[in-house]
Amino acid sequence: MTFNELSERLRTKFGPDAAPPAEGAPEALTVRSSAIQEMARFCKEDPELDLNVLSCLTGVDRKDRIELVYHLLSYRKRHELVLKAALDRAKPEIPTVETVWKTANWHERECFDLLGVNFLGHSDLRRILLPEDWAGYPLRKDYVAPTEYHGMSHARVNPLHEPEAPADRKQAELKDLSQLKSLYQPVAGEMVVNMGPQHPSTHGVLNFLLVTDGEVMHKAVPHIGYLHRGMEKMAESIPYPGYMPFTDRLDYLAAMSANQGYAMAVEKLLGCAVPPRGEYLRVLACELNRIASHLVATGSMAMDIGAFTPFLHWLREREYINDIMEEICGARLTYNYMRIGGVSHDLPDGVADKILRWMDHFAPITDEFERLISNNEIFVQRLAGVAAISAEEAIDFGLVGPNLRASTVPWDLRRNMPYSAYADFQFDIPLGQGFRGTAGDCYDRFVVRVLEMRESCRIIRQALAAMPAGDIRAKLPRRLKVPPGETYARVEAPRGEMGFYLISDGQETPYRLKVRTGSFTAMSIIEKLSHGVMIADLVAIIGSLDVVAPEVDR
Amino acid sequence: MWPLAKYVLENYLPRASNTTAQAMVYLLFALVGAAILLGFASAFAGVSSFVERRVAARMMSRVGPNRVGPQGLFQFMADGLKLVLKEDLVPAGANRLLFRLAPYFVFAGMFGTFVALPFSARLVAANLDVGILYILSITALVVVGIILGGWSSNSKWSLFGGLRSAAQIISYEIPAGLAVLVVVLHAGGLSTQAIIEAQGGMPWNWFVFYSPFSLIVFPVYFTAALAEGNRTPFDLPEAESELVAGYSTEYSGFRFVVFFFAEWANLWIMSAIAVLCFFGGWRIPFVTVAETYSAWYWILLGLAIFSLKTLTLVFLVIQLRWTLPRLRVDQMMNMCWKYLIPIAFVCILGTMTWIVFVGQDTTLGRATRIVLFAAGAGIVVRQLVRTSFNYRADRANYRKMTGQPLWYPPFRLP
Repeated sequence: MTFNELSERLRTKFGPDAAPPAEGAPEALTVRSSAIQEMARFCKEDPELDLNVLSCLTGVDRKDRIELVYHLLSYRKRHELVLKAALDRAKPEIPTVETVWKTANWHERECFDLLGVNFLGHSDLRRILLPEDWAGYPLRKDYVAPTEYHGMSHARVNPLHEPEAPADRKQAELKDLSQLKSLYQPVAGEMVVNMGPQHPSTHGVLNFLLVTDGEVMHKAVPHIGYLHRGMEKMAESIPYPGYMPFTDRLDYLAAMSANQGYAMAVEKLLGCAVPPRGEYLRVLACELNRIASHLVATGSMAMDIGAFTPFLHWLREREYINDIMEEICGARLTYNYMRIGGVSHDLPDGVADKILRWMDHFAPITDEFERLISNNEIFVQRLAGVAAISAEEAIDFGLVGPNLRASTVPWDLRRNMPYSAYADFQFDIPLGQGFRGTAGDCYDRFVVRVLEMRESCRIIRQALAAMPAGDIRAKLPRRLKVPPGETYARVEAPRGEMGFYLISDGQETPYRLKVRTGSFTAMSIIEKLSHGVMIADLVAIIGSLDVVAPEVDR
Repeated sequence: MWPLAKYVLENYLPRASNTTAQAMVYLLFALVGAAILLGFASAFAGVSSFVERRVAARMMSRVGPNRVGPQGLFQFMADGLKLVLKEDLVPAGANRLLFRLAPYFVFAGMFGTFVALPFSARLVAANLDVGILYILSITALVVVGIILGGWSSNSKWSLFGGLRSAAQIISYEIPAGLAVLVVVLHAGGLSTQAIIEAQGGMPWNWFVFYSPFSLIVFPVYFTAALAEGNRTPFDLPEAESELVAGYSTEYSGFRFVVFFFAEWANLWIMSAIAVLCFFGGWRIPFVTVAETYSAWYWILLGLAIFSLKTLTLVFLVIQLRWTLPRLRVDQMMNMCWKYLIPIAFVCILGTMTWIVFVGQDTTLGRATRIVLFAAGAGIVVRQLVRTSFNYRADRANYRKMTGQPLWYPPFRLP
């Protein structure tokens, strides 16, 4: 359905002036904050609208009001809708939509944390990224950053200019987790164990509070924010092209996709088209990067299960990809390859051959990997049937990417809402089908990633064969004038849909940038999955959801 | 050592008639024996740690230690020296006495088995009449040490590791003991030397091929031994990705070394027990037991044969560790109680029946041994063929990727 049909459908249900178009955003509807729950439920359950996915929920400080933005999407009908609600800036309150979509729980907590919006009826409204005792709401426009936090200064003395500056060695009086602990008071027979922030299988800096009875887990409460760098806040003070290197740091295993998402968002606002060769190079780089990312995901999953060898075999393959990436863009991890309107460098001579040679080598290596670990009976027994996620649950919790497809939902942005040059390629979307256990279990999530690597190889071969000649970058002025407006760009990153919600007010810097990442929603389902599993299973669950900490915290 | 001490007393020190002097001689021999065994255990643990790291490196296509000494052979000494020089930390809140005591239990449990472990004819510290039972029971001391270490560390991850280890080792002692009982039934004796002497030099005279039941029970023993030694796929007590480092999380310096020393020395112990129980020990083909005892060169040849068989198993265990993933706790327990123990019991009953109704030197008994040997050899050959297939596939792949042939001898690195 088009936007007009969608809004017409809402108006026939809720009355002619229920959902007027939002000002400044032609593809959005404004709703009354009191009616949001009802409206959201209708959007989700109405068979014609069928907007069953809450892609993104965020807020914007519009200086005179706080605007809440709901990005809805329909997997079956492939249409999207944006709902907006204006809140009183002095006392922003809105009913929660947690009852409609479970994924709203964490999104609303983040909105509360960073913008101070009070969600009425929310089950667990606590700060999520910032410490419990943080003062103020950073994403508000009048927020003044504090100069210190518990005696730790935010300013760093430059040792070159002031070598003799006395270092402030005051012992930081950090608040302990007593507040958290009081939330999870163990009953008799239960034990509370801290898993992380330093633990071999949390894949970065994460903390889980495990409430266990021996080896059997009653609850695992994720506690995130250790890697929160304020990426979204930083975007507001950095010119559009200059933010590109920051997106590399969102997901260090798949920097290309983040690059592309951000570039696409700005290009949408600018209305500029990328030359075909630029698009093909983007696809090439993204798919190589997807293979590299899945190599780490599946390999480290095997390592979490206790098999070290497959992990290092995969890292060896990733090393070849890193070499190729180095030749393409000069960097091995944080590429900064994309530019707004294209890519930074053309493909050097000989690299295409090198990629093809590597892929010839990689196919039998994948077979070897499957012989070594995928079909290893111990490995299968450890993963099959563990933490199965049904399709409804996966959508409800906002899972995306391979995690969603493992739960049998046939949704891949590259196929279903093709962007860049993906419409030109033939490839399959591997779905979970209960390969050895139930559909959507840890083993499915593992196998889907292995299969996706083979599909990415297919895409790369086609892209190399059909690489068009021409420019790699659109001609754009050095100082970008981005017209006012807003947009939401989605890309299929290795960890699932990555959404960049970008608002411009015509200045040199974005007015607001919100990044919706796959790992963030994947983290939110862990508490649900962890009930009744064993500690070793939790490790498998974290590994199978492929959570990357900086992408969770941003 | 005792017969040797007695021999020396009678022939060279006839005047040492008072009991104190005799006791001193016995003590001296005991100390010398202990020193020799400790030297062997340390050297084996060190070298096997190096070998394990190099084998693992080859399997993972990386380089492995190659800096200290020729081909990195002295890496284990450097590591040991470094660890001994580290501070001996005791975490705050730990039970200091028990925390410091725990490694010694582990060490004693491991080292105690060497007393009854033969190396060749005559080469055994003490040929105990209940040798194999003694070995099985003294290894239980290890679990005391691990529980103590896990509990006294005052860390929840250590506690998990200690408790997992207790459950695991105590459970798997049962199938291991039952499997050894099958061998004891065949041998008719508990002494380690008696078990070896009851076997023959040729493969079809080994206990593993004596009856269908002993062929079945060998994997049971081997699995249980892996589990008792905390080796993959049963390395749950020190599961890195789950429990950080299990019971040894809080240990540092020398005490940490002791834990790992025990782990690597245990490689020899578990393999040596398998060899002496199932693979004919030091028996030499075409040489009788009496002949072996009578000449030093046969004894040395027996030592070589025993070591070769044991090292082959050690190599297999190392390869298993770097191939397999880890079981979960409940799967580990299921495997023991639902599969291994019933199988072991059936094997004991079957062996009893077999001995009574078939016997070893009847035509049927001989024919069975030949058939089982052929089956066993077939399994080994199949594995070798598979290995060579994988190696050749690897080599072709490597050549295609890099354009140069992949060949380097096992003792050198590319």
